[in-house]
Amino acid sequence: MIMTPGLRKLALTVHLAASAGWIGAVIAYLALNVSAIVSQDVQTVRAAWIGMELTGWYAIVPLAFGSLLTGLLMSLGTQWGLFRHYWVFITLGLTLFCTVILLAHMRTASAVASMARDPDGAQLGHLGGDLLHPGVGLAVLLVIMSLNVYKQRGLTPCGWRELYEARQLTKP
Amino acid sequence: MPRWVKVSGIVTLVLVLLVVIVMLVTGGNHGPSRHMPSGGGDTQISPLVQGARIP
Repeated sequence: MIMTPGLRKLALTVHLAASAGWIGAVIAYLALNVSAIVSQDVQTVRAAWIGMELTGWYAIVPLAFGSLLTGLLMSLGTQWGLFRHYWVFITLGLTLFCTVILLAHMRTASAVASMARDPDGAQLGHLGGDLLHPGVGLAVLLVIMSLNVYKQRGLTPCGWRELYEARQLTKP
Repeated sequence: MPRWVKVSGIVTLVLVLLVVIVMLVTGGNHGPSRHMPSGGGDTQISPLVQGARIP
């Protein structure tokens, strides 16, 4: 089903807002992470982990699902399709990968944030941070953004088959 | 298959292999859970925290 131009623009606006917001929220998460790593102050480490949990569950996760769902809608509702072009297919794979890793990471982040909330937490100074997951996540999100901006040419076997069938239908 | 897909695939494969090798060398313990007193189970919550949650 091809979307009407108005609906397509609305979906594109929401998709861009969610995707850019996802990148911005990950950068905010990274800033909190860095403060948890470099700070020697227990209260700062405690606040950073609680902030990371809140940013993760209430900003990053909703924006990730918003981006994923509007991306699916845009692919299926336009001529791009989901499996016709390599850049769309790879974008879908990377977005799914990021979302799964994000959900797994947030469970761990919540557990650490629970430790940070513990008023008797004697080991708070050793909590540190985790730059690996948000760092790699940000890099993958930037790759996805580049794929979406440059839209490199290249049809998948599925795309070639559909093109061939469409040409056969239009032959007199 | 376009050349950019092949090159990206090879680069991704190399990076994934590097990550696997690093994880094998370091014992696979990564992320914030490595700081937890319960030994670093990925989503394990320390008994201290579990106790704090129960009123």
